[in-house]
Amino acid sequence: MTQPDEYQMGLSSRKAIYIPFPQAVPCSYILDMEHCLGNNPIACGKCQDVCEKQAINYDDADEVITREVGAIIVAIGLDVYDPTEMDEYGYTRYDNVITSMEFERLICAGGPTAGHFVRPGDSQRPKRIGFVQCVGSRNPKIGRPWCSNICCMNTVKDTLLLADHYPDVENVVYYQDIRAFGKSFEDMFQRSKEAGTRYVRGLPGDVEENPTNGNLLVTVENTTSGKLERHELDMLVLSVGVEPPKDLAKISGLLTLSKTSDGFLMESHPKLKPVDAPTRGVYFAGFCESPKDIKDSVCQAGAAASRAGALLNAGKITIEAITSQIDAESCTKCGVCARVCPYGAIQWKKGEVAVVIEAACAGCGACGAACQFGSITMRHFTDAQLVAQVRAIMAEKPKEKVMVFACNWCSYAGGDMAGISRIQYPATNRVMRTMCSARVSEDMVLEAFRVGAPIVLVSGCHYADCHYINANRQTVQRVQRLWNKLEKAGVRPERLQLEWISAAEGQKFAQVMKQMEELRQTVTDEEIAHAMEALKPKPKKKPKPKAEPAAAAAP
Amino acid sequence: MATTETFRCMMCGHEYQEQVERGEDKERSCPKCRSNSIRHLRGAGKK
Repeated sequence: MTQPDEYQMGLSSRKAIYIPFPQAVPCSYILDMEHCLGNNPIACGKCQDVCEKQAINYDDADEVITREVGAIIVAIGLDVYDPTEMDEYGYTRYDNVITSMEFERLICAGGPTAGHFVRPGDSQRPKRIGFVQCVGSRNPKIGRPWCSNICCMNTVKDTLLLADHYPDVENVVYYQDIRAFGKSFEDMFQRSKEAGTRYVRGLPGDVEENPTNGNLLVTVENTTSGKLERHELDMLVLSVGVEPPKDLAKISGLLTLSKTSDGFLMESHPKLKPVDAPTRGVYFAGFCESPKDIKDSVCQAGAAASRAGALLNAGKITIEAITSQIDAESCTKCGVCARVCPYGAIQWKKGEVAVVIEAACAGCGACGAACQFGSITMRHFTDAQLVAQVRAIMAEKPKEKVMVFACNWCSYAGGDMAGISRIQYPATNRVMRTMCSARVSEDMVLEAFRVGAPIVLVSGCHYADCHYINANRQTVQRVQRLWNKLEKAGVRPERLQLEWISAAEGQKFAQVMKQMEELRQTVTDEEIAHAMEALKPKPKKKPKPKAEPAAAAAP
Repeated sequence: MATTETFRCMMCGHEYQEQVERGEDKERSCPKCRSNSIRHLRGAGKK
């Protein structure tokens, strides 16, 4: 029984019992039960016959092992881009177009050809080799705008390897930019050029095969000379990019992690906590966080291990002072709080009162704003405190003020940035800080209109910057509902605005404040009066008393 | 599956349609004035 060897990129075969790769730890055989013939009933059993240690057990199966741990390091690696969709390079049509991963196996002494570099089409040694950079990287058209970080230096290394093994080989590298930014990388790049590698700025537009000899005709616009060039090559290597592993969604769901727009895991803070996940006790190492080379991966792994070690050895943990508390008596057991919590810090089962895991609660307040029954109290940011602030802000001359709810981490800091940058903006805004924009409940916004605010602005972090994983998505949904409510009540929904302002966007903060002031001047006294009246809370209906059971009522 | 959805900017009033993938998690801004006050009005059909 033979199967394509995954480690050798399918360039050679393996048996159903095999060592995954030469450096495997532990260096022991594994059984590929999907292709083994010797199971239930035993049809082959040759491996069992020859194993003197009797180590082969066909009935052995995968099992789930539960462990209690204090910290988790996510280091699940990467996936390599499959260039099948980029048909212009002919990867699926021509034998002599290979990927950089396949190149690695072909030139490796432990590879399928024992390091004798031959092209797959006819097993002849190629003399002219082309490398195409950025295949599956820096290409927004195919949804991969990120730089894969490692491909440039990998190609430079490959050209040096070829020049060392086969001095007569001619190498051509087609590139957009060569990013040689690490220690000694620029030196390697210069050595590659000195070794005769030709670097052509421009990516091939078309690749055709000469059917008689299997050679490849590459058409490329050399953007340095502005000329169209045609090169005949023996082999073309596609320097494929990397992408987030396919299992990342499962892991991020399991550990309540968030992802950046390119699909890699988002760190807690890019500068101050680069290996920490937003969920406490979870750390990142390697590619799952962003594309990086071996050195950076090792650095990050060391940092993650140190962070985990510090947490585990501290003996105690400090929890947020701002956490939510659930009042068991008034809780209606609806479970909305558990659904909106980005950290999974609220435990709830149908028919049971929700419970906050205080060690996991980060204090965003999304649950407090979502609870319709006032059963959740956010320490230091209670509903009563926040509503009192709104009333106090609007106590005098409310018509001349813009009510601004700003999140602690970004928008409020954006206002600070505008201030320290001496950027001028109208003085009519009154900024009220909450930890997250998701803490701003519908009632707080409506209360602002009730007490005469002409304009209300809810502002928070940009999507990718949300300090509470993705709590600000709750803000969007809430504002959408509020726009509908305002419209229904005959209040111009434009009087409620939503903006994402980061801590660095002082300029944007000032610009938004100017826009709010312009908008404020369009709001008439009649509109304000109408909103104050129309949004008055309706008296709550008293629940009908439940009829006593007949048996109990009977004397 | 993508659907065509209608959005209105609550700052400048610009109304526009956009393809929205199911489960899409995207920060929206007005193509005209860049405001983030984008109101989701209604779906205009599946694609």
